[in-house]
Amino acid sequence: MHLLLLKLFPSAFGLLLQEATSGRASLAWEKAQHPDLSKFLVIGALLFIIGVAGVLTRRNIIVIFMSIELILNAANLNFIAMSRYLQETGSVNAVAGQIFAVFVIVVAAAEAAIGLGIVIALYRNKETIWVDEIDILKW
Amino acid sequence: MILSGWEAVFFWVFSIAAIFAGLLTVMARNTIHSALFLISSLVSVAALFILLQAEFIAGVQILVYVGGVMVLFLFVIMLVNVGEEERGREEIFNRSRQVTTSVIFCGLLAAGLLYAINVGYEGFLKRDEAKIQAAGSERRAREQHLATSATGSSRITTDAERMGGSLYRYASLPFEIASVLLLVAIIGSVMLARTLKQEAAVDDVAPDVLQKEAAHDPEVVEAHNIL
Repeated sequence: MHLLLLKLFPSAFGLLLQEATSGRASLAWEKAQHPDLSKFLVIGALLFIIGVAGVLTRRNIIVIFMSIELILNAANLNFIAMSRYLQETGSVNAVAGQIFAVFVIVVAAAEAAIGLGIVIALYRNKETIWVDEIDILKW
Repeated sequence: MILSGWEAVFFWVFSIAAIFAGLLTVMARNTIHSALFLISSLVSVAALFILLQAEFIAGVQILVYVGGVMVLFLFVIMLVNVGEEERGREEIFNRSRQVTTSVIFCGLLAAGLLYAINVGYEGFLKRDEAKIQAAGSERRAREQHLATSATGSSRITTDAERMGGSLYRYASLPFEIASVLLLVAIIGSVMLARTLKQEAAVDDVAPDVLQKEAAHDPEVVEAHNIL
């Protein structure tokens, strides 16, 4: 039985692969050689998800702050990519995305300053940077 | 916007670098390593900004993030004690159940976002195809006199100039509000990071707290008396 499966599998698999990717593999290669707006959006989405995963899983509050920076940066990448796309379509106010990115950077800088001030004050009072040990508000 | 030739190589190198450096930021055990990986991720994203012809934002990204914010991060990491984490005694992630749930959630988020981007981009292209064609020829005519960039397939743009103009023309009120926000952030972080001694020196401590602290830290009262 196993032998039969083993014999059948490669040919069946090959056939399936051929069916599923007929034309698609070469299209994907073509797309990879000539990346467009959607590739930038995908990179932005991946960076965003890595940042979300960092915020949700890490215990160190400083690394959580760094993950938030990663999220903001992913948003910036999306803004700039969309701004470029609007420039391609000849939109009138195409640099609005870039202006928005400047403000995101400003807010990120302010957030980092305040957040790290809080971390310093917290470390002075509680002697810890692990978020699961900072539970004064827990009843 | 289709990239080709060296621009495509540039794109793949820096996007893969950004993703890997981002992953390592989240995975690294040593917090200093985390910060350094975040710096390389930010620099790679700045390179992608240059590819998207947003040179000014790329410069701001490197100056503000790498030169300002990340240096602040490194100082704070050195101020707090993370030795136990480095030596491997402390678990760096939350409990395994939380981590599993978060990873599943992130996977679903990734699937949803990638699907949405694919579908949305198809729709975008269908809607804007004629506009892109029309604007493309016009742009090529306009860019004829600009110098070629290093990749050879595109021109050095005047977008920084346009962006500065738009920033002051259409966004001058948010610009002013941003400056107030930064001022508030400076004052706020100075207030938050003061020690009790510094607070006592400017008479900013409640009298009963001062009495209580006096028992095991005479310097606090001293600072208060100087005032």
